[in-house]
Amino acid sequence: MRLAVYLVGAVLGASSALASAQGGAPTDAQIAAIVVTANQVDIDAGKLAERKAHAADVKAFAKRMVTDHTGVNQAAIDLAHRLHLTPKSNPTSESLKDGGAQNLATLRRLRGKAFDKAYIDHEVAYHQSVLDAMDKVLIPDSKNAQLKALLVKVRPAFVDHLEHARQIQSTLAGQ
Amino acid sequence: MPRLAVALVLMAAVPLTVRAARAPHTASGRAHIIIIEGMRFEPPLLVVRRGDRITWINKDPFPHTVTATDGKFDSHPIAPEGSWTYVARKRGDYDYMCTLHISMKGKIEVR
Repeated sequence: MRLAVYLVGAVLGASSALASAQGGAPTDAQIAAIVVTANQVDIDAGKLAERKAHAADVKAFAKRMVTDHTGVNQAAIDLAHRLHLTPKSNPTSESLKDGGAQNLATLRRLRGKAFDKAYIDHEVAYHQSVLDAMDKVLIPDSKNAQLKALLVKVRPAFVDHLEHARQIQSTLAGQ
Repeated sequence: MPRLAVALVLMAAVPLTVRAARAPHTASGRAHIIIIEGMRFEPPLLVVRRGDRITWINKDPFPHTVTATDGKFDSHPIAPEGSWTYVARKRGDYDYMCTLHISMKGKIEVR
């Protein structure tokens, strides 16, 4: 799937590129920027889907994404303030931002069932790739214990969202 | 004791007596806490006695619900750092879930 490839490339590929360019793992400030951008990208897509989605369950899912990822982002921003950690933009966060903008541009051109399918397909790929990045880069490379603990705490939300998106994807495929 | 003081003591005592009489029988029941954190109800299974009070506290940064699958109780969304209390009045096993997150399930058994 092209979407999944782009997303995995955006999160994992750029993280690896970042790590090798620096000769090491991303810093906590860079991880904070990746986390905040990843959440923001899904909030933006969710806000669009809340307005444009055709099916009620897709609309409800979009609303859930906006609420949950806004909550996660607020927790991340609050923690960054407490730790005096200024999120630092990096190739991974920039790539996520660009990918999010591309996704919005694609979704804006669609409507009805085509919109629902594209939005949900992207949500499946997005949550899977963010989970991969959390497991392979973001959680293991976090140095501050509180930052690592926050990522571990919110990880199950991404698992739940992925499972939920897959269920809707399956329902849409059967229609 | 001066009359005024006696009167004040009596006036103060009356509302207390009324409150005690009106207090639900649950006042003598035990209080239990279930923490909602990391998309889990902890403990996921809780055994209580009739009249016990169960309070769910949401430690996640987004809302959750505590909703019986048979519709017997429903907290509606509990905000982050918010809580909801249910008094277990009837014996039985109650499966519940968060209606906002498909993976979250719990159970209370009222003996």
